[in-house]
Amino acid sequence: MTDRTATAERYTESQVAAASIERGEPQWLQEARAEAARATSALPMPTAALRPWRYTDLQGLDLEAFPPHPAAITVEGTAPAGGFAGRLTGGPAEVAREHLGSVVATTEGKFIAANAAQWEDGVLVHVPRGQAFEQPVVVTIDAAGLASAAVYPRVLVVAEEQGEVTIVLRTRSGADPLLAIGVVEVIAGQAARVKLLLDDQWGEATRDFTWVRARLAKDADLQVASVAIGGQLLKQTVEVLLEGEGATSVIRAVALGNADQHFDFVTLQDHIGPRTTSEVEVKSALAGASRSVYYGITRVGEGAHGANADQANKNLLLSGSAKADSDPVLEILTADVIRCGHGATVGPVDQEALFYLQSRGLDRRQALQLLVAGFFQSVVGELPLEGFGEQLEERVFAKLQTADL
Amino acid sequence: MSEPILEVRGLQVSIADKPEIHIVKGVDLTVGRGEVHALMGPNGSGKSTLASTIAGSPSYSVDAGQILFKGEDVTEWSADKRARNGLFLSFQYPTPIPGVTMVNLLRAALQARRGQEVPAREFLVELRSTLGQLKMDESFARRYVNDGFSGGEKKRAEILQLGMLKPDLAILDETDSGLDVDALRTVAEGVNALRTAEMGILLITHYERILNYIQPDFVHVLVNGRIVRSGDASLAKQIETTGYDPILQELGLSREKEEAAAR
Repeated sequence: MTDRTATAERYTESQVAAASIERGEPQWLQEARAEAARATSALPMPTAALRPWRYTDLQGLDLEAFPPHPAAITVEGTAPAGGFAGRLTGGPAEVAREHLGSVVATTEGKFIAANAAQWEDGVLVHVPRGQAFEQPVVVTIDAAGLASAAVYPRVLVVAEEQGEVTIVLRTRSGADPLLAIGVVEVIAGQAARVKLLLDDQWGEATRDFTWVRARLAKDADLQVASVAIGGQLLKQTVEVLLEGEGATSVIRAVALGNADQHFDFVTLQDHIGPRTTSEVEVKSALAGASRSVYYGITRVGEGAHGANADQANKNLLLSGSAKADSDPVLEILTADVIRCGHGATVGPVDQEALFYLQSRGLDRRQALQLLVAGFFQSVVGELPLEGFGEQLEERVFAKLQTADL
Repeated sequence: MSEPILEVRGLQVSIADKPEIHIVKGVDLTVGRGEVHALMGPNGSGKSTLASTIAGSPSYSVDAGQILFKGEDVTEWSADKRARNGLFLSFQYPTPIPGVTMVNLLRAALQARRGQEVPAREFLVELRSTLGQLKMDESFARRYVNDGFSGGEKKRAEILQLGMLKPDLAILDETDSGLDVDALRTVAEGVNALRTAEMGILLITHYERILNYIQPDFVHVLVNGRIVRSGDASLAKQIETTGYDPILQELGLSREKEEAAAR
């Protein structure tokens, strides 16, 4: 067992500052690290009294008992002229300095502060003005082999005016207990187009808390697709700030649970600029005693005339012990809205569809495999990565082959 | 008489959730290989319930009697086991399954039916050949099962499945309902194209119309859960001309009386 005192030491300001100097980080980053370390110790753990944490009980989680450890990170992808995809500290220093922490502020919460203090091997993707990455940038964060450690993935995406990029963030770990606390910041300039695929392949004892937040300028477009199959607990917060006029975003997520897996999705569609459009679709299929939680806010600010927003959360219960909670919220501050819809469903599979498939010779498990794959299709079908849909379907089938249905 | 595929003996059926509601009240019916049996009857006579029960729908429960399929008592079998053994039900209202393509369904169903992996190449060859036989476009197979299909497309999708799965017994439940004349002809031609000397067909219909295209060997009339008349194709012609009322009167039956008896 790890020594709690020695591990907690790693989170103190002095050790964080020392580690930053040892890594040869620039002065501004050293200072940011020190501030983040102070915030980590000063801020309380989130409690169920906070609405986004209502259904995810952190009692018993002791952040400072997990020693921070770098994961093996690879970045594949060829940047266009003047662009960059690789280690944050090895990229264009002025881009990192200007944007790191500009969307997700270090002092927002204990986990985010811990990430800001502890991340190693962060990733920067920089798309220069008018340029496009021809192939997706694939970032793999592999924590296999780590036990009872904490990893702190950090990704910064800066797409300048009319820049285009697709980023795949793939996370893996082994079967040992692991804590993952990730922060992804996206800055999309005017008419920039960014696609982000979060491909969670965590091991069965990993608890993941990840924040993704994007700031969109005029006519910028962001598409986020999240696929959650692994992990013991996954809490993913995806927030889009539609600041510029005409900005658009789509957030889609699918989760497939079994045993005691717990998925918690939080989304924010923050319409700030006029004529902005957003869509959220979060779907979970739950076997065993797994659980899904959704808390989504659509906010239409005073200046967001002509906003168009839709928010949907659908939960398919594949067993009698599975459970889903849905808490969609609308905050509309202008009367001039084209559409602001939301809907949430929780229920078992359509018995007629099940009988239809069984009448074609598929046994109940096979029928459910097909139905769940079909249920996910609206999300999977639009994923920005060739061949990923088939791969995912195989993973869905494989997981349901042994799931408690 | 040819070898029987389906033998229904003294079958009585009620709704699973409402056991006090008896719908099929003692049906005997035998369908042999290569035979086409038409089961006709007024609305609410129990035709679709009988079809669904033979296919193994969990919505109904068998209170008495037996269903024998290829000589085996399948009364307690699950729907999927019956299907794998060669029983096919073409639904009156095929269920939309968004996100699942016809191709994926057909391949999974074919593998289940054969009890083994069907290689992609082999599957595609069979699919193309069946689509061609039914004069259907390949793009049809890439659509989601019954999702956004017109009435005619839904029925054609059922016939496509029938063609791929090559069952021993095909139950066509009101395959003619909701179709205009052209769609009806297309679907009926499809069924005819797939007919073999091995397959039995139980064709359930309210109207005699489809029987102009698919010639029945036997016609049965179901009224209030019982087969009250059986005969050859001329029985269907008779119903076309006179409707069901003369049969009811001849038997001293009226719908009101039957309903009162059920209560």
